[in-house]
Amino acid sequence: MGVISALGDNLSANRNALVNGECGITTLGLFPSAYSGKLPCGEIKISTESLKEKLKVDEPAVTRTDLLGLYALNEAIRDSGLRTEQLEANDTALVGATTVGGMCLTDELYHDANKDSEGSAAFLSSYDCGSVNLFLQKRYKIGGVINTINTACSSSANAIMYGARLIRHGLARRAIVGGVDSLAKFTINGFNALHILSPGVCTPFDKGRKGLNLGEGAAFLVLEKEEDIHNRHPYAELTGYGNANDAFHPSSISEQGDGPYLAMKEALQTAGLDPGEIGCINAHGTGTENNDETESRAMLRVFGSVPDFVSTKSNIGHTLGAAGAVEAVYTVFNLKHQEIYSSLHFKEPIESTGLKPVTAYKKIKVNHAMSNSFGFGGNCSSLIFSKA
Amino acid sequence: MLYIHQTSAISPQQSFSNAAIDILHASVGNKLHVIEPDYPGIPPGLLRRMGKAVRIGVGAALPLLKHAASPEGIIVGTANGGMEDCIKFLNQIIEYEEGLLAPGNFVQSTANAIASTIGLLTANKKYNITHVHRGLAFENALMDAIMMSKENPEANYLLGAVDEISDYNYNIDWLDGWYKKEPVSNQDLYQTNSPASIAGEGSAMFLVNGISSGAIVSIQDISTIHSDDEKIVVSRLKDFVKKNLETDEKIDLLMTGENGDNRLLKYYTACENIFNDKTAIVRFKHMSGEFPTASAIGFWLASHILQSQHLPGHMIKRKFSDKKLRKILLYNSYKGQQHSFMLISKA
Repeated sequence: MGVISALGDNLSANRNALVNGECGITTLGLFPSAYSGKLPCGEIKISTESLKEKLKVDEPAVTRTDLLGLYALNEAIRDSGLRTEQLEANDTALVGATTVGGMCLTDELYHDANKDSEGSAAFLSSYDCGSVNLFLQKRYKIGGVINTINTACSSSANAIMYGARLIRHGLARRAIVGGVDSLAKFTINGFNALHILSPGVCTPFDKGRKGLNLGEGAAFLVLEKEEDIHNRHPYAELTGYGNANDAFHPSSISEQGDGPYLAMKEALQTAGLDPGEIGCINAHGTGTENNDETESRAMLRVFGSVPDFVSTKSNIGHTLGAAGAVEAVYTVFNLKHQEIYSSLHFKEPIESTGLKPVTAYKKIKVNHAMSNSFGFGGNCSSLIFSKA
Repeated sequence: MLYIHQTSAISPQQSFSNAAIDILHASVGNKLHVIEPDYPGIPPGLLRRMGKAVRIGVGAALPLLKHAASPEGIIVGTANGGMEDCIKFLNQIIEYEEGLLAPGNFVQSTANAIASTIGLLTANKKYNITHVHRGLAFENALMDAIMMSKENPEANYLLGAVDEISDYNYNIDWLDGWYKKEPVSNQDLYQTNSPASIAGEGSAMFLVNGISSGAIVSIQDISTIHSDDEKIVVSRLKDFVKKNLETDEKIDLLMTGENGDNRLLKYYTACENIFNDKTAIVRFKHMSGEFPTASAIGFWLASHILQSQHLPGHMIKRKFSDKKLRKILLYNSYKGQQHSFMLISKA
């Protein structure tokens, strides 16, 4: 696995920060925007230039999204010990997710799209979502199926699911799966126009929550077939996945949380587990009025008595297309270390549901852990990881 | 095996409802815009709010969902989704200096708006996904449908792809040298001997499942490649043919995505050369124009040709003997970096 977020630029930094209950949400600082110095965001405090230097990348067309993706991919490849010949083989897949892609270059895109300049030449092939994984594929000459998924905020959960299915159907022997998004003027203004950005640090599942904080990050996980594991010790097993559509509204979830309910149910079904066997949940928990209440209802419908749950968006903000992958890494930490982290900034439960997230670090016994990701367009996905 | 039972396409040619592809509709200003129907199935209030990509996607999909059992999944490929909405929102950001903006374009601009709007309008709460991998967005959607159908062969799935020409993505690709600088008509596309192609757009939708009975065509296999080396492309094509055809078996038709870009001709020529000179060759980009999911229009045309057993003269590159058409190999390259092979058989 590999991860970069507002909590740190590698696996152990992220885990340590989670254990210590650190919050990586700070005032936006690194890029020029009307919201600079004002809006709380889960920003990674490494400038794009320093990322380029650290990664020794000098391709002119590279974007911040590409760099964050490469950062996490490098760690995942090192961590898994995948060899060059394995990466280049035509049975190694790369399935990445992104919603922002090269649109982090909001101003450059504006000028090029309106043809009011000669073209920011370098970036012309970098604006779309596909550009990120095309860049990553080229860096490592990954030889198998390459794909990019965009289902808004559930994108990388679906990338993980697609990679697992490629392996299941023999279309890949191993799959590098994950996602990346960087902060962008485009998304900041989009979410602001929808009035769902919190003016302060987000407070998921709290009665007085005022919206979400955007974040940026990337994570990749290497999936391999069970029979290829031999005597190595994997972090965890991906045992269940579900994808369902809420079919209710373009940007909000139905009152009873049908989409989230169906996604969790299907994940349990593919894993062959009863709800009572789930030991903890990394909730979608954005901190918006709509999400936290409908997700709570859906969890109550699925579980009756809801297991320990947290929203790690209280630590890193909502990383959009990366959220499913970063939170999958955190869910794997839950299993590997038999622990659960504190969901930050929570005070009082939502009246109609009464659910309280875990608010202090603790050791737990957990065999199966769930991770939820829901997006605009009603695109809901749920993953289950099990102790290996 | 994945079987295609119904098809629907909104393209720059007469493909929707009563398909009549013998007549070639001409490009205007190096662009091939789709011929849009009246969309009787979409409520007018909703239709007005839809961007073009969503409109042509939903418009092509709805007729397939009218009579069929509700699909177990909606699987869409689109490189850009609602590009026009995306840039309208972008323009608001810059022109109003990040002030108070209307969110409508932002919500419509997300690539998953096409698949999710189809889900919303048909109250479909099942699997719903959007593949956006540029020139292989449709191919990945197709692989997804193949896997879904193996998992649940009796179930219907809606599979499709959509991309639009907006002023904006046209400008970006034009600046990047992918659309021709000199005026070219689609009738003369293959005679140009210059870099770049003409712009296109379209939407193709397919109702698919794992049942052979009543099917129009089947997709026997698909392979995708990332490389700019034609030798690698050819070697993968040879493997693909060897894997999928018996030693004495031949394809009846090679359909290629040749697009008038002289920089890409080497890939198409190299692939044509692995077949003997009796293999007929047809092309389709003069009908669709070039765009990242144009291969979905190629796939629709291949299905239509296998069903009608008729080839429009304007598509033919190399002479066709009058035998029955059973197998078409579709080869497409996007910008010489992403390539796909699809083997399509008459059911």
